[in-house]
Amino acid sequence: MAPEVAIAVSALKKNYGKVEAVRGIDFEVARGEVFGLLGPNGAGKTTTVEILEGLRPRSGGEVRVLGFDPEDETMAVKDRIGVCLQATRLSDKITVEESLQLFAAFYTRSADTTALLKRLQLWDKRKAYYTTLSGGQKQRLAIALAMVNEPDIVFLDEPTTGLDAQVRREIHTLIAELSDRNTTILLTTHYIEEAEQLCQRVAIMDEGRIIVQGTPRELQERVIGKSRVEILCHNALPEGLPPGWPAEDAVHFSPGRCQLVAETEYPARAVVELVKWVDGCGAGLSDIHIKRPTLEDVFIELTGKTLRD
Amino acid sequence: MKPYIAYIRTTLRLTGRERIVIFFNYLFPLAFLIGLGEIMGPVPVFALVLTLNILGTGFFGAGMRATMDREAGILRRFKVAPITPGPILVASMVTGWVVFVPALIGFIAILNLRYHMPLPPNIFSLFVFLSLGVVAFRSMGMIVASVVNSMQESQIIVQLLYMPMLLLSGATIPLTIMPDWLQTVAQFLPSNYLNLGMQGILLRRESLAQNWQAVAALLATALLCFFVSLKLFRWEKEDRLKPSAKLWVLAALLPFVIAGAWQVYDRGNLRKVQILAHQARRNVSWLVRDARIFTGDRVIERGSLLIRNGVVERIYEGDSPSASDLNAEGIAAAGKTALPGLIDAEVVLAMNAGLKPGSMKDVSAAAENALAAYLYSGVTGIGSIGLPPQIEKLVESRFVSGEKLGAMVLRSAVAPAQGPCRMTELSFSQASAEREAGDLSLLKETLVEEVAPRALLTRLESSYRDLEPHAAGAPSLETAERSLMAARAHGTKLAAATLSGTALLVHGPMLHHELRLLVQAGLTPLEALRAATSDAADCLGAPRAGRLGPGADASFVLVEGNPLEEISSTERIVEVFLHGENVHRGALVEKK
Repeated sequence: MAPEVAIAVSALKKNYGKVEAVRGIDFEVARGEVFGLLGPNGAGKTTTVEILEGLRPRSGGEVRVLGFDPEDETMAVKDRIGVCLQATRLSDKITVEESLQLFAAFYTRSADTTALLKRLQLWDKRKAYYTTLSGGQKQRLAIALAMVNEPDIVFLDEPTTGLDAQVRREIHTLIAELSDRNTTILLTTHYIEEAEQLCQRVAIMDEGRIIVQGTPRELQERVIGKSRVEILCHNALPEGLPPGWPAEDAVHFSPGRCQLVAETEYPARAVVELVKWVDGCGAGLSDIHIKRPTLEDVFIELTGKTLRD
Repeated sequence: MKPYIAYIRTTLRLTGRERIVIFFNYLFPLAFLIGLGEIMGPVPVFALVLTLNILGTGFFGAGMRATMDREAGILRRFKVAPITPGPILVASMVTGWVVFVPALIGFIAILNLRYHMPLPPNIFSLFVFLSLGVVAFRSMGMIVASVVNSMQESQIIVQLLYMPMLLLSGATIPLTIMPDWLQTVAQFLPSNYLNLGMQGILLRRESLAQNWQAVAALLATALLCFFVSLKLFRWEKEDRLKPSAKLWVLAALLPFVIAGAWQVYDRGNLRKVQILAHQARRNVSWLVRDARIFTGDRVIERGSLLIRNGVVERIYEGDSPSASDLNAEGIAAAGKTALPGLIDAEVVLAMNAGLKPGSMKDVSAAAENALAAYLYSGVTGIGSIGLPPQIEKLVESRFVSGEKLGAMVLRSAVAPAQGPCRMTELSFSQASAEREAGDLSLLKETLVEEVAPRALLTRLESSYRDLEPHAAGAPSLETAERSLMAARAHGTKLAAATLSGTALLVHGPMLHHELRLLVQAGLTPLEALRAATSDAADCLGAPRAGRLGPGADASFVLVEGNPLEEISSTERIVEVFLHGENVHRGALVEKK
């Protein structure tokens, strides 16, 4: 009976007075999918998510979350989603365990809090006051709170912003685990790697609009299409190009001809051709790099600005 | 229901972990209790700490706290959960109440053990009333939290509400010493109703029903404020209020605007303030040290009287204990004599010294002044003859309530007392004779000059000849004395009676004159004093009056010297106590 589409948004608009925060966006998130909303600060990601969570009314368009309209059936939506806010703060002297039990009491369905604490590596900290937790522990607790009702959809609003690299990796592992359990996840972020690594599909937002959406690979291919293959040699390479090298793929050499960069749509085949050629002319292969175009490249290409400014 | 229970449980736990809560709810008031208990007396200090607690829990405990939680972003997390503000508001009320109850019990225990405050008689009413106060003030605090946009704003508004409410509550500074306009302003403040209700229940043993105005005002506030704060609740600081929403706050003030307007018209609260002030003075503990004590029956040559809560708690014979050990105010009374409040068994309130007031309204005013004059003269009880019903009503409403101070009317019926009793009436005989002779020496006595209105004396001097003689007529002083001694020989109980109010006998001090006449007629001073205390009380059917002993009403007089040797010493009054209140005598007759 559960609809296959977890979230459906069409022509969604939100104005704050004269400011148009969201200017008509459409997207769908399927059940079990990890969907990323990517964009710089002020792109309208958080506003969109808050409308989906039932926190804000919309100015126009249609929204369905688990088949409910979050504006009219707010409680039904809130009861079945889990939310990890951009900044979660709890009372200083509430313990980890108490906070989970408190929030568990708000929902019709509730998860086994013991299991949840263990899964999120908070079991040893269950009696600790919130104020004594590290940044990573606090964020894990925020995610635990988002899962306390065994939600059908989890909203993670910039879950790793402001955390150091190691903690960010921890959180990534956690989200990956969540998605393995077939939970629908809507993630907003301005970290490219996060979206590439975690999301099955991504929508890039800028100035209230979705400028492109698809799988990370689709986006990369559709927008630029060419990967860069970089080869380093011990000795200088001879003049010319490998035999049969396609004319549309540009090859650049370094001044001493010890380094070569090729741009190609078929990096695997290009590597094979290039390695054969380097070997054949005795230049002595020292290193190979393949660089796929990143979402960052996609974003710069589409908007002319960088994500993290 | 589940969210409510969970939220309440969590809030209680978190509150228990806050040191500041312990400090402001228990330690801070405790310091006031101990520090001011001696100076203020148990009931006023009790009212003070309860007011501090309730105002504090409302504005700081609920108001500031809620603002802090919102500004810190703690409430935001709850916004995405499927709950209404209901559990949060209810938990705030319940927590405030749970924190308050131990404080209440603790204060009562301390005041009872250390300052001998009796357990509040209407403890259920007190409990319900104060609980209502906690909820009402916390609801007000929640509204403040809803309307302010920052901690700074919250601090300003909370102080603006807290300080005036505290200062004008009547619990910190007595309203009676404030100018009229400020007393009127106080009638619009919720704290004043809190204090009045509380003191009424504590001091006057009133019930909730008798304080219905305060109860209704607090209940209306609690409900309105709760409803309004539910409407205005904000989960995060980004939720801005529309300026028009602030108008809801005015709705929350409505009960007090209405109640205040009613009080400005009715002035009932201001009357009650007077009553409570007297009640508070009655609850001061006193130790009258090293006095000669006449108990109404016998004499203790050297002893001390311990007065608590308007009653003689104990008489110490011989050496006096230290007043501070007993937490009582000490009065050094060596060389002085303590007597039960004197009783004039027959007075006629409908006139004064034979002059009748012009109108019924004047009758009441004159009777009011007369009762005050008796008290001034150390007479704490009278038997009234022919008391007009409007005076009875007046006495009932103003003297029994404690609004006005004056002698108690021990019996208002004219019916003869039970058992063989004889009213002495020697002053009456003397006055009748002197009126005939045109002798006004009875008006020249010191106490008479002190208590009688100047205008009355002037009028008497010019028109004493027109005064109405007492209907029954009077025997000559000699006849009266002889018949009195005969009655005494028969063992008839003698009740000192002056028939003051009749010609030339001014209300108030004539009993002292009667005492002198009694001794002159042949009674011992002890017999004379009995006639004016215990025997008079017996004859008036009020055997609990006119005596000083454990459990007796603490209405007594302290005089210089020894009236048991020199009866005129009764006029050298040092202090008068009425129901344990050290009467400010000057205030009784100053309005001339």
